[in-house]
Amino acid sequence: MPERRDVHIRVPVLTRVEGEGALELDLADGQIERVNLRIFEPPRLFEKFVEGYERNQVIDMVARICGICPVAYQMSAVQAFERLAGFTPDRWVTEMRRVMYCGEWLQSHALHIHLLAAPDFLGFGSAIEMAADYPDEVRRGLALQTLGNDLIALFGGRSVHPVGLRVGGFYRAPDLAAVDAILSRLRLALPEAKALVSWVASLDFPDDEQSFTSVALSDPDIYAIAEGRLISGQGLDIDICYFESHFKEFQSPHSTALHAELDGRPYLTGPLARLNLNFHQLPAAVRSVMDSCGIVFPSYNMFHSLVARAIELYLVLYEAIRILEDYRVPKQSYQEVASVEGNAFGCTEAPRGILWHRYDVDSKGIIRYARIVPPTSQNQGRIEEDIVQSLSKMGLDNDDDALRLRAEQVIRNYDPCISCATHFLKLKVNR
Amino acid sequence: MIRIIGVGSPFGADQLGWLAIDHLVACSLPNCELMKLDRPGIGLLDYFQNVDQVILIDALLSQEATGRVVLIQADELVDCESLTSSHGFGVAETVAMAAQLGALPARLHLIGILVGDDLSLIPSMDTSALEKQVHSLL
Repeated sequence: MPERRDVHIRVPVLTRVEGEGALELDLADGQIERVNLRIFEPPRLFEKFVEGYERNQVIDMVARICGICPVAYQMSAVQAFERLAGFTPDRWVTEMRRVMYCGEWLQSHALHIHLLAAPDFLGFGSAIEMAADYPDEVRRGLALQTLGNDLIALFGGRSVHPVGLRVGGFYRAPDLAAVDAILSRLRLALPEAKALVSWVASLDFPDDEQSFTSVALSDPDIYAIAEGRLISGQGLDIDICYFESHFKEFQSPHSTALHAELDGRPYLTGPLARLNLNFHQLPAAVRSVMDSCGIVFPSYNMFHSLVARAIELYLVLYEAIRILEDYRVPKQSYQEVASVEGNAFGCTEAPRGILWHRYDVDSKGIIRYARIVPPTSQNQGRIEEDIVQSLSKMGLDNDDDALRLRAEQVIRNYDPCISCATHFLKLKVNR
Repeated sequence: MIRIIGVGSPFGADQLGWLAIDHLVACSLPNCELMKLDRPGIGLLDYFQNVDQVILIDALLSQEATGRVVLIQADELVDCESLTSSHGFGVAETVAMAAQLGALPARLHLIGILVGDDLSLIPSMDTSALEKQVHSLL
């Protein structure tokens, strides 16, 4: 019979990251007594920063919240202001926003797969170590990331904290030559992304089926990225303006990031949740790649998030090509949209999951209150639940290093902003 | 063609890589492309392509906050122990990755400008030493 140990795993403060996190894991008498994913990133003062500013200023300000997914923050904000005004963007604007968002998914997914997650499944401590044995795969990943960044810059002027979006459309439209140039590169990258899906699907994932609720946006016509209704695998189907009626945020003593629950339970948002709920809307060519990759979706093995991410990477390349093939320079890249007083709600699919915004706008178009619910805080409860289930299934009699590594692997699998911190956890074990 | 890249950000002493480029622009260096990059991360790798020689200029943490200019070898800079994540991909990690991928330019030089722990203080850069160092590498 395995030894029934009391183990206390403590991870110290982690710095040099966008989010700051730590892990506390206590085993008592051979059972998990406590798992705390501690996030001590500062309170989201951005919600206060934006008070007193007008709509287009806020769209540029919220881009600063994240260096990896600034487009997501901008898209949720612009959607909120336009919905409040009763403004529906024209087809050109809607499609180009989807392309710009595709760029963000492309760079973010490529980055997570190659620099953060893949080394876990191949037994390397870092992407640099992995590059010695898998140089072609790393080169491919970095090239895809660059392409995603360039796609963002096409519309936003730059890939980090872009400045192209505004209420009513874009400040400017790219010219044909620039679009043609990137279109050629997107076409060349498509078979590379297909190979990436096969490679990721062939990785040796732990057998770790779990029960969880998936939450994602859903659009009747298309795989939702930049708009949609909020749905769940348990039958939720609401307009995003009712988010606060169903999703409750609360403070836990161990985390400055708010936890979130749907009807009193943790839930999953992000690539696996999206694919589980919306895979039937993949274009036929993308569906074919998914069906032939060897992993069956919907999947409840959380580690298949990585495969879902790769399939979505292929999807966004496909979508960007499809839309840009019919590109034309519009007469106007935006329309003036009068400001309306009221409560503005926006929600889009950031690479890591749903990103919900609320802004209370006064009669002069000034933001008086803001609330921003990012995907990383929403996934916190699910991550803790996952660690308990995954470690229990793996076997708590494994040594401390193995338990720590699996816990880190679970955390990184969600691609939280704090995954960078957890990548180099130093471990202190008290027995 | 020689690419001279100032790596930095708008904040405090981290501007020094950019300020170095501002100074070198006025020096009319032959056959050189000068550019400033804002915390490029792993994206720095792209700037190693299609060029014979790269000179990177960046602020370098030191005990002496003097603005002194030093030449650093690539292998002195590599510190994979500090590698944390995509967010933590700095010049050292990118050079290490480029070495693994065989993507280093034929000649790569790193010029550091020494700054102290308090990054809000911008030391006065030794611009004549900077010019001399760059000319010696061309």
